Amino acid sequence: MAGKSGRTISAQAEQSWKKSLLSWEGMLVFLFFAVNLLCMIISPSYKLTNVLREMPKYLTEVFLLLPMAYILILGEIDLSVGATVCLSATTACLAGNAGIPFPVVILIGILVGTACGLFNGIAVTLFTELPSMIVTLATMIIFRGIAEIALGSGGSVSLKHNEGFRALAGKIGPIPYIFFAVLFAAIIFIFILSRTSFGRRLYAIGSNRTTSFYSGIHVQKIRLVVYSVTGMMAGISAMFLVSVLYGANTTTGTGFELDAIAMAVFGGISTAGGKGKLTGAMISAFIIICLRIGLGQINMNPQVILVILGTLLILAVMIPELLKNRKRKQA
Amino acid sequence: MRKQLVYAFLCTAAISGILAGCSSKSSTTESPASPQKTEAVSKDGAGTGGAAGKTFAIVTKAAGNPYNEKMAQGFQKVIEAEGGTCIIKHPESATADAQVSVIQSLISQGVDALCIAGNDENALQAALEEAMAAGIKVSCLDSKVNKDSRQTFVNQAGTTEIGQALMDAVYDISGGEGDWAILSATSQATNQNAWIEAMKEVMKESKYSKLNLVEVAYGDDEPQKSTDQTQALLSKYPDLKVICAPTTVGINAAAKVLQDEKSKVKLTGLGLPSEMAEYIGNDDAHSCPYMYLWNPIDVGSLGAYTSIALVDGSITGKTGDKFAAGEMGDYEVIGASDGGTEIILGPPFKFDSSNIDEWKSVY
Amino acid sequence: MEKKLLKKITGSREASLFLVLVILCMVIQIFSPSFLTAKSILDMLKNNAVIMIMALGMLCVLLVGGIDISITSTLALSGMTVGMLLKYNIIHNTLLLFLIAILVGAICGAIIGFVVARGKVLPIIATMGFMYIYRGLAYLIARSQWASAENLGGFKNFALEKELGLGILNNVIVIVLVCYIIFFAVMKWTRIGRKIYAVGSNPEAAAVSGINTRRIKLLVYTLMGMLAGLCGALAVAVYSSAQPNMLYGKEMDVIAACVIGGVSMSGGRGTVAGALLGSLILAVIAKALPLVGIDSIVQNTVKGCIILAVIIFNVVAQRMMQKENLKGREM
Repeated sequence: MAGKSGRTISAQAEQSWKKSLLSWEGMLVFLFFAVNLLCMIISPSYKLTNVLREMPKYLTEVFLLLPMAYILILGEIDLSVGATVCLSATTACLAGNAGIPFPVVILIGILVGTACGLFNGIAVTLFTELPSMIVTLATMIIFRGIAEIALGSGGSVSLKHNEGFRALAGKIGPIPYIFFAVLFAAIIFIFILSRTSFGRRLYAIGSNRTTSFYSGIHVQKIRLVVYSVTGMMAGISAMFLVSVLYGANTTTGTGFELDAIAMAVFGGISTAGGKGKLTGAMISAFIIICLRIGLGQINMNPQVILVILGTLLILAVMIPELLKNRKRKQA
Repeated sequence: MRKQLVYAFLCTAAISGILAGCSSKSSTTESPASPQKTEAVSKDGAGTGGAAGKTFAIVTKAAGNPYNEKMAQGFQKVIEAEGGTCIIKHPESATADAQVSVIQSLISQGVDALCIAGNDENALQAALEEAMAAGIKVSCLDSKVNKDSRQTFVNQAGTTEIGQALMDAVYDISGGEGDWAILSATSQATNQNAWIEAMKEVMKESKYSKLNLVEVAYGDDEPQKSTDQTQALLSKYPDLKVICAPTTVGINAAAKVLQDEKSKVKLTGLGLPSEMAEYIGNDDAHSCPYMYLWNPIDVGSLGAYTSIALVDGSITGKTGDKFAAGEMGDYEVIGASDGGTEIILGPPFKFDSSNIDEWKSVY
Repeated sequence: MEKKLLKKITGSREASLFLVLVILCMVIQIFSPSFLTAKSILDMLKNNAVIMIMALGMLCVLLVGGIDISITSTLALSGMTVGMLLKYNIIHNTLLLFLIAILVGAICGAIIGFVVARGKVLPIIATMGFMYIYRGLAYLIARSQWASAENLGGFKNFALEKELGLGILNNVIVIVLVCYIIFFAVMKWTRIGRKIYAVGSNPEAAAVSGINTRRIKLLVYTLMGMLAGLCGALAVAVYSSAQPNMLYGKEMDVIAACVIGGVSMSGGRGTVAGALLGSLILAVIAKALPLVGIDSIVQNTVKGCIILAVIIFNVVAQRMMQKENLKGREM
């Protein structure tokens, strides 16, 4: 990636960083309400029950957003999460069909995910010269390839007994379980990032890996942990996905990694590392999800939705930069 | 403070842009292939208006494929002629995953009937069961979903008939013996797997004992991949005699490869006459002596009539139900091999050099 | 003496790649004698022409430390433009259509270049956004229809004829050769080539020495766009069909080809020969696996493992070389 040359260390710059971050989160909250208002105006079907019905499937991707944010803050990238979801879902379904009881199946799914993440972690920590993008690109192909082999020529597997997973898609009142799971996970991740030393070390490594290393931070150990956790979250995401699809196929989870990165970046996390807050990412995730649900309900061409999302993403990143530059020129 | 104002202004601008985008998109693209709500247009004498006031949705397998487009057109024409509102939905990608989101969106919109060409036989069960629980009449067409996910299935032609016709074509073209291969679409597509199974069943008869199926290749309904797979088949099996491609994209790609390379290998399968016109012929210069298909527009129309009949209660999808499908005649619901029910459009239609010119402009 | 020759071979990345390619071909030839026939090789070149040409553009982008994952969307957009122009009988001239395709690609690339160079958006994010936008635009131009062989008329014969090749070589192969020769010359012998390497190796030093880094970056992305546009028209001709989901997901193949060819993802290192060898190796592997009897379902996993093996081998070889150099110094 390009060098991090544009960074200034003066205290004044720090202040303006903080200020711009704060107002970015505020703007995101405003945007969230605005988007929901917009959806209510354009779509007569945009009611709470309907939104709650359509959200769980999109929420499975939010499980990936949380660890992906950690990875982005580290200054790295993980393109293999979608493939990990696929492999985890496939293994779980095959295990379920082989007669293994449901709780064990869930455990297997999550373990497979963690194993994939661990593999990534080992690869990047053993060979630190390798950029994470290319390593995870290779593992993305490998993981999905393994799932393809496991699925055989049919390319898909469906659960013979779906009671267990059906229960996973259950609700408390009108709200499906996955909401609570996502909320719970989000609180943990946000807490760790903003209030523990582990989180601060993540920012440090992302800002300057060499300096962090020499200040005594166990860089490689932390990277290993983060990648493994990413794999674990992918496993959890896969379990919820199976509860919606009652099966898995070779295309499960495609595009999840790009969606996760897009949601994170839209929420203010920079891919150069060392910057960004998870709260922003969560809000932006919900903005994007609500927008997709709303636009889908008015039967907008899915390609047009893609164009809008792409444009928003670019504007979201470009405009703060341009404004910052103008301020710097004024100063 | 000024920065906040700038951000607020930008948000408002973005949102008004979206609003403008919504309204302009809804009005400018009026081609039948665009997925929006089209208002009811009742034509005199064309229908009995049995669908008046109701909303019918068709969900295709993917966006863009000409076969899917024609099917959707047929569906839309009938629905609108009968006075109903038609929604055409294409999934974001050709996966069952994307179709689940579409189904959920349609449930939220409260449509009355949903007719879907499934990308996967079982993966849509949860979503479709929820649709049926919400009172939506669920049927499928072209590519079925399992019996618990649907009320009935509009089958373009009997699965065994298709298998028999294609197997006979392979037998005939290859001269009764030799290697042959199948070029299919995606490995999950229900209709593809059903027809391949049917062919394998037919092949068990002693008449076909000298034919050897060497491989089932998957072109994923992508021209590039289908081309690559065809070339791989050619180089892997030098004694290959016939390729059978029961998918319009696959047969198109294979026809081009075979004809360009002036290969001795011949081709048959299911193809759109408009795409295959220049490849059909009996001589060496043409790679495909004959092929089969049916009218996808009719498949869509029958799907529409089925949905209308389900909604107004004249059928419930169980065996023995009869209903009228406008100018297409009367149809009866029969039992299907998977325990559910189906409605068969008719036998597969053969396209060869004698009739291809007539049909290539129809579909 | 021996040590010096060995050092030279392993030292030069391109030479070792060439060796790998030769060994691969020999091994496959043993398994399947029809592999090294002229027809088979030319077929392989023709089918991989698109990846090979785009690898050139990606080389330049990677050299300046950027990345472009929107290339297949640009390809689809320009391909659809050509397809639609032919389908609705607006333009029939082959040359004009190619020029239009290149122009469309150039515009797409220039916009990306502008956003990256001036908007200071990180390349991965910018190109991700444009990937969605251009793909969506391709679908919108197509109005969800395809252009099939019938519609394309005489255009598709371009891929079959040998006019440009003076009657010996297929047109498509000639285009590939011409592109490679041009780029080889430019990168090795012109000032612009040197500037590209400079910007990638050390952006600050390059800026300080008077190179307009912004303009070089803009140029590089525009070039990538032009090549993608050219490939769009080429793909339509070769496959005799234009549809909006052309080459979906194949951008990773192009990146993999470059990485295998020794192009560094952090910029500054890599050659045209490397890109060529990398894409050739990928092409050979893809073609050879079915011939060797490896089930097609295993292909992706094998491809991923090979990429992983290549990059790890890279790192290990480099570490060994560094050790060697250090030993040499410890006289």
